[in-house]
Parts: sequence; structure tokens; C-alpha cells
Amino acid sequence: MKSRHLIYAFLLAFVLPSCKGEKKLAQYSEIYRECPATIYVAPLSDMSFRRAVRLTEDSVYNLSLNIAANQLYLTASDPLVNNGYYVPGPLASAQIAATESRSDKQLRNESINDYHTDLGIDAVLFITLHSWRNTTNSWSVEVEYVLRSTHSNSELMHVLVNATKTLPTDFKGNPIPLVEDKAFSDRYGCDLETAQRCRLVETVNKYVLKDLPSGSRTRQQRTERHIKAHPEYFTLKIHPDGSVELAKSEMQQ
Amino acid sequence: MTNVSKGTIILLATLLLSACSGSYVGLPRAEMLGYQTYGTYGSLYSLACAQAESLNAAVKADTLHPGMYAEYGVALALMGHKSAACRMLNAEAKAFPEGRSMVYRIKQRLMPDMLLDEAATARDTANLSQLAGWAYDSLTALRPLPFVAPVIDSTDTTWLQMQTPVDSVETPIRLTATQKRQLLEEEQARQIMLQQARLDSIAAARQAKVDARKQAKADREKDRKEKDKARKQAKKEKDRQRKEKQKKK
Repeated sequence: MKSRHLIYAFLLAFVLPSCKGEKKLAQYSEIYRECPATIYVAPLSDMSFRRAVRLTEDSVYNLSLNIAANQLYLTASDPLVNNGYYVPGPLASAQIAATESRSDKQLRNESINDYHTDLGIDAVLFITLHSWRNTTNSWSVEVEYVLRSTHSNSELMHVLVNATKTLPTDFKGNPIPLVEDKAFSDRYGCDLETAQRCRLVETVNKYVLKDLPSGSRTRQQRTERHIKAHPEYFTLKIHPDGSVELAKSEMQQ
Repeated sequence: MTNVSKGTIILLATLLLSACSGSYVGLPRAEMLGYQTYGTYGSLYSLACAQAESLNAAVKADTLHPGMYAEYGVALALMGHKSAACRMLNAEAKAFPEGRSMVYRIKQRLMPDMLLDEAATARDTANLSQLAGWAYDSLTALRPLPFVAPVIDSTDTTWLQMQTPVDSVETPIRLTATQKRQLLEEEQARQIMLQQARLDSIAAARQAKVDARKQAKADREKDRKEKDKARKQAKKEKDRQRKEKQKKK
């Protein structure tokens, strides 16, 4: 019984997280080669359809899409920051974008070396929101992510996602909102439909960007952490009977 | 039983340890979304206050998020507190050297007069935790009363620049979920009303244009008729004069 628990623990903690290593190496080989440390999220390019305003509902619908688009832009930096990249926040990014005179199309296709020389940015993430579709109980969004290097102007990552969120319905056919959606709606003070869209784009961001390789800042920290942690460096031994042995040991030079 | 519980504890502890990958203290998303969507002074003010709080928490917990100082600095600069904003941007450059060029460009754009203040830069970045605490205190002081910042160095007069009173503080900071919802609903209603007013004004302008065009056409018609009448009268007069001359002859 004891040994089985230990086996489970080791499997879950060490073996499973290491399963994705090789795939990741192949998928993000460009990022591993360039090692960007600073990523700037360019202003969102929103290509989705907006209704012509004739009725009040049209304004409400358009506002809902605007809020969701803003949420998509704001939450794009979270997974990158958690992966150890330096990402300027939205207010600072707006100041950088205000100085830019080139169009979005030019930025995506032409040289962006000046972002490195002037601002010290290593890569620029372009996000395009292509379309929204919704039925009574499902919401779909199509988003494109392009990560371009400012050193070589090459594409480090190019992903097109079509994500759909479907909710269960009650006997009348109305969607039953999740507890998380309600909590989001309460926290952000928006209606439930906007909350569905916001949570959908948040999830898409997390799913697409969470798996990027860790930033060079983190990699550097990982290589240096043994040196930094020298006084507290210790070894932990878990014996088969469940007892834990703690042994301090010196750092090998 | 004891052994089983020990095993379970080890399993749970291992899982917990492996899950502790360390996420950063986040930026205030709700306030940021509010500012990004509506862009009003009130939303900017509440965003700045929330940023100060999260910055203070991050400094205390030693989990500084890249760009936190810069975000707060830009918010302060947009509110007009350039001296404090400069201090925050200097702190960002000190804490995260990767963002130094970016901070320089932002300062160049928002506060070009404070760009080359090297002495202030050195002083501001001397103690970052003290700086964040000061920023938090100063914004806390800003809430109920006119702005009164604590003076850190009495011989340095540049700190006094922050003591100018702020009159345009509008929104309360600590809002409950209901209040937030209410504010947002009001904001939405205001936006819709503005949109409606804009549409009405466009329709009115279009109607006025049509009316003006009709009026101009009517005027032109009237002018033409008057001219025709005058021309006919002149012709009649000429004919009459010609006939009189012929009679005389």
C-alpha cells in the first residue's frame, strides 16, 4: 500500500510533466534558437463583425464584443509573464503603440528591427480576432496569434484557433451558466453573455500561450538557482516506510 | 491505518509541491478592463488605486510582476502626477533592466522634461520597497481628502510637487460587486444614451440638410419667377416704348 502510493506520487510529480519535452522542443525550435526575453503584445486587430446601430440591442451587442476583445488583449500577457518573459503592461503598450506610425499590415509583413534597437523588445505578439459566432448555448471565436522576432523578422509562432464553448441547457432550451461565469460576471460587473465571451477568450489565451518555452530570464534563473540557494541547499530522502530524511549537503564546485 | 494515512500525506504533499510552480501577483484586471473599455477619468483613477494596492502587496510578498511599476507610473502620468510617475518608471528600469529602453521611450513621450534627471533617478531607485510603500500611502491619502503626500526628505523640494491638491476625484475606491455592477450599468446606459444622442444629432443634421436644400430650391424657383416677371415687364415696357416711337414717327 505504502509503496504503491510512493509510485503514484513519483509518476505524477516527475514522469508526467516531462512527457511533453521533445514535442515542445520541435514545435518551438525557433523560440529556443532566438531565446527572446522581452515580448511586446501589439494592439489587438479586431476584424470581427459589428452590427450597424439601429436598435439599443445592437449597441449592447457591440459593447459586449468590445469588452471581450479588450479581455482577450489584456489576458494575453498573463501566460507569457508566468513563463518568465518580460511583457510591458497594457498602459505602457498603449504608449508604445501611440508612437507607431505604420499600419498593422505593414508591421506584420515588413521589418520590425527598430523595435529591438529603439525599445529593446525581442519579439512582438500580434493577435487578430477574426470572428465571433454564437447560438443560444454556444459561443465560438476565431483568433490568430503570430509571434515575430525583432532580430530576424521571422515568425517564431503562428497559431490559428477556432474555439467553441458549449453550455448545457435547461428544459426550455436556455443555457445554464456555470458558477465560474457567474463569479466572473459579479466580479467584473458585466452581463452573463459578456462573461461567457470573456472567459472563452481567456481560456484560449491560456491554452495557446501557456505551453511556450520558459523565457530566457527564467532559464537563467534556473541555472543560477543552485548558486543562489547555496546556504540552504539540502537533500530530501523519502524512505519506503514513509519517513522523511532531511540532509544538508555542500554545493559541489 | 497509520501507514496508509502517512502514504496519503506524502502523496498529497508531493502533488502540492509539484503544483507550486509560482504564479505572480496579477495586475488588477477588472479595473483595467473598465479603463480599457470606457477610458474615463474615474476608471483611470480606480485603476491607479488598485495598481498601488497590488504593487504594495507584490513588494511585500517579493513577487514583483514585470511592468507593475511601469503600469502604475503611466497611470500616474496620465492623471498628471508626473513627478511620482517618473519615480515609478525609474523603479521599473531598476527592477527590470530589460525594460530600460522602453521606459526611456515612455518617459520621452509622457514627461520629456524629466528625462535627464540623473540625480533623481539614482535617488528614486535607492530603495524600491520604500518607494512602493510611499506610493501606496500617498494614494491612500488621496481618497477622502485633497492630495497630501508624506514628505520623505525635507531638504528636497521636488517631493513637494506632489502636494498640489487634486479636485477632480470622482469615484469611490472600495466598491462592492453590486456597486460595481450598478456603476457599469450606468456607464453602459450612458454609452447607449450617448450613442442614441449621436444618432439623433446625425438624423437631425441630415434632416436640416434636406430642409436647407428644399428651401434653397424654393428660393431659386422664387428668384427665377421674379426674374421672369421682371423680364416680361421690361419686354412689355420696351414694346410699349417702341410702339409710341412708331406712332410719333
